[in-house]
Amino acid sequence: MAITAPFSYPESIKEKFIATPGLKFKDGSTVSSAEIWEFMTKEAPRRFPYAFDAGANNMGRFSDDVNFLSGIKRGYLTLTLKDRIMKEHAAGTPTVLVQGGQAMDAYYAAGGLPVRPGLVMQWARNMEEGLSLRQSETLGLNILESGRRKISIDACNQIAAHAAIDNKVVPIDLIAPFLCLRCSDMSFLVETHRNREHDIPRYLVDYPVDHENKPWAAEYIATELRELISKIAALSGRIITDEVIFDEIKLENRGRRIATEIADLWWGAENPPTNSTDFFGIAFLANDFVGDPVAAVDLLEQSKLEIEERVRNNVKGFGVPDNAKRLYICGSCVGPNAHHAQTAGAIFVGRDDSWSCISVPVEEEGDPYLNIAKSMLAYPYEQRTEKRAEWTAEQVKRSRADGVIFMYQWGCNYQSGVARMISDIVKEKAGVVTTFVEVGELGRSEATEQSTNRVEAFIEMV
Amino acid sequence: MGLKTLDKITAALENRPAELEQLRKQGKKVVGWLAYNIPEEIIYALGLIPIRIGQGGDGRLVEVGARHISTKNCVFVRQVLGQFAEKTDPYIKQLDLVAIDATCIQLYRLEELINFYFDYNTIVLGVPRNFATTEGHEYFRKEVEFFTKKLELFAGANLEQSRLEEAIKIYDNIREAIKTLYRYQGLDNAPLSWRQVSSVINAGYNLDRLTYLELLQELIQEIEKNLSEVTGVREIEARIFLSGSLIPPGDTKLIDIIEQLGGRIVGDDLWSGFNFFLNLKITEPTPYGVADAYLDRVPHGSLPYLDLASDGRLANLKHQIKEFNADGVVYHTLRYCDAFTFKAGETKDVLGNVPFLEIHTEYSGSDIEAIRTRVEAFIEMIKSKKEIAELV
Ligand code: SF4
Ligand code: SF4
Repeated sequence: MAITAPFSYPESIKEKFIATPGLKFKDGSTVSSAEIWEFMTKEAPRRFPYAFDAGANNMGRFSDDVNFLSGIKRGYLTLTLKDRIMKEHAAGTPTVLVQGGQAMDAYYAAGGLPVRPGLVMQWARNMEEGLSLRQSETLGLNILESGRRKISIDACNQIAAHAAIDNKVVPIDLIAPFLCLRCSDMSFLVETHRNREHDIPRYLVDYPVDHENKPWAAEYIATELRELISKIAALSGRIITDEVIFDEIKLENRGRRIATEIADLWWGAENPPTNSTDFFGIAFLANDFVGDPVAAVDLLEQSKLEIEERVRNNVKGFGVPDNAKRLYICGSCVGPNAHHAQTAGAIFVGRDDSWSCISVPVEEEGDPYLNIAKSMLAYPYEQRTEKRAEWTAEQVKRSRADGVIFMYQWGCNYQSGVARMISDIVKEKAGVVTTFVEVGELGRSEATEQSTNRVEAFIEMV
Repeated sequence: MGLKTLDKITAALENRPAELEQLRKQGKKVVGWLAYNIPEEIIYALGLIPIRIGQGGDGRLVEVGARHISTKNCVFVRQVLGQFAEKTDPYIKQLDLVAIDATCIQLYRLEELINFYFDYNTIVLGVPRNFATTEGHEYFRKEVEFFTKKLELFAGANLEQSRLEEAIKIYDNIREAIKTLYRYQGLDNAPLSWRQVSSVINAGYNLDRLTYLELLQELIQEIEKNLSEVTGVREIEARIFLSGSLIPPGDTKLIDIIEQLGGRIVGDDLWSGFNFFLNLKITEPTPYGVADAYLDRVPHGSLPYLDLASDGRLANLKHQIKEFNADGVVYHTLRYCDAFTFKAGETKDVLGNVPFLEIHTEYSGSDIEAIRTRVEAFIEMIKSKKEIAELV
């Protein structure tokens, strides 16, 4: 097998990069761009070589568009996640296992550090440093398999996060996710912790079905949010007032607003101003994939400026194919490989899951618990399937997508249950071709031919 | 022993589709319902005809259903979807409304698909995952109240307290009768088998409730009359308790295998079986009272419960195993039924020394031989253990 040279940032952009602003963090600290450059060109390649694997199969591969400087900073936030969590945890901040794809306002407001399953796995894999992509994946797969052995092979790869907690690979202080209607495995996996040696406290915030026009659904969630916040606050020692929660809500709303503005800018541009990796990175920032909302908002602002400039100058993102086929991606926790798709002539223009919770701001006045509850209940992705599909069709139209791929993970029973229905509705409402792909690879970057081939065949068809 | 009432039940069932047809012509409406927490008493009290739906064990229908859902969804859900797609089932084709509760979210998804693809009028009852909390109860009360209002509109009638009281009484009596039948089938020289009780339960899916209750009471009388005649030598038998995912009408694969290999099923805690009839006591004849009673009975495995020590489902399982003097547990899990599959290891741990066998299966016949081998070894093991115990 040919060994591809590791990815690296060219010295030619250093000067331009270090002239840009650094990043602010929620603890009040800052990092300069020069420090970020040092980290991303020296320290990180040494500590996390897997992240610099330039093979096309590396799903987490950095963007080739090195001139999109915010992308480098996003990489920095990703690779420093472990250090930041460990530091905060050592200083007494409780780490909380949460559900992805939902707003984290309540967790941060209560003084907790919410970590979604995907981040738990990233964190767990980073606990060992100096690993190649294959070594890092093997480490992850070993954790995953230990969970599957203990629980079931029918589980999706979220089980790896629970196994990492069980096996004490990472320290989690509270297991307390919101539930939702897209995720079949979370509630049952949380339940499995009741039969473990550890005694990590557990809590679930329910998510009722068919909640439209039912005020009691929001009240139910709001009561549980009070309980959740008081549980986290008991661990963090933070005194919770409505004002504290509203401060967090305002910060997170800012992130949501900027991300939405960026999406509008991006969709309206004649040429896609960034490649798929950088575009999806925007949603990831607004959807808390970096463990620090202050840094995320800061970087969103910087990203927006860069994208505005590119749109103004009609700059096409590096790697975006000419006459690229525009694909909208549906489904949770898994997506097609952006690099393969680009090679096949396509670009990703949206993602229903990530954009769903960004699209709903939380009211900034009144009862903060009820406001968060109401916004959770308004996520388009969590509506009845027909309504969710109609929203998706709207997104498809706004993003001028040529086709839709619905992907779901092995073991993801609620998504698999509606993949066909959503594809059918979107096809009818948006007038584009759709397909759905089940992914059985569960976190591997090798032997992914089956799903890759299906995606590529679809792109050809589009 | 041939029980005449069982034949009567079979005959009543044969006539039921035509009876429904007549009733519908007279303007009666049929409500098909599915899952675990639909308060059937309310449907009945509103003068609607409740029919419990959902069959299993038919690989062909599973295939039909899979055209609209993934092959990675629970096989029961796929088959029910297949039933709706085909509309040849004499009950499915007569439904005026389908009511599904969201105890299992895969069933909630099923409701959406039935509504979207097959144009059925559907109604959903939300069920709190945090069913044991005050706020969960509060939520469910409101849901049942809302559900009742929607049903009232559909029925064109208001829920009268006296009708609800009457319905509660009928359903209480049905539940009591089923419990009595379970007691009898578990006896050493039982006058009827678990399988027969199971088919009596299945008949209750469709029969008119009053007729059903009368037949149950007649069956019990017939059994009691013949009880004294029962004699015999106690054989060494493997008394099997069934747990795990549901075993709906039509799914006899595992039951057949256990019986063919000489095992005797003596009890279950299935949501399609005995659990459904346990601990449901409505003390206040209102939608709120009904809601509380439903939520407080033996919980369904689809509702997560985070404390092992106080889990009512597991406590009931342990109690029933003792009550029916079972020698071992066959824990049946349907593929992609996470609710029960994820709990298999834990259930084994909780049951400690009770012999335990997990069978993870589907409705296709491809794994019959593999299951047979495992069940055979399990039954042998139980029997030889008992033989040794008798010798000592
Ligand atoms: S893949 Fe599906 S079941 Fe698994 S964590 Fe994601 S949403 Fe939940
Ligand atoms: S509880 Fe399990 S077997 Fe029953 S419908 Fe849900 S997934 Fe299927």
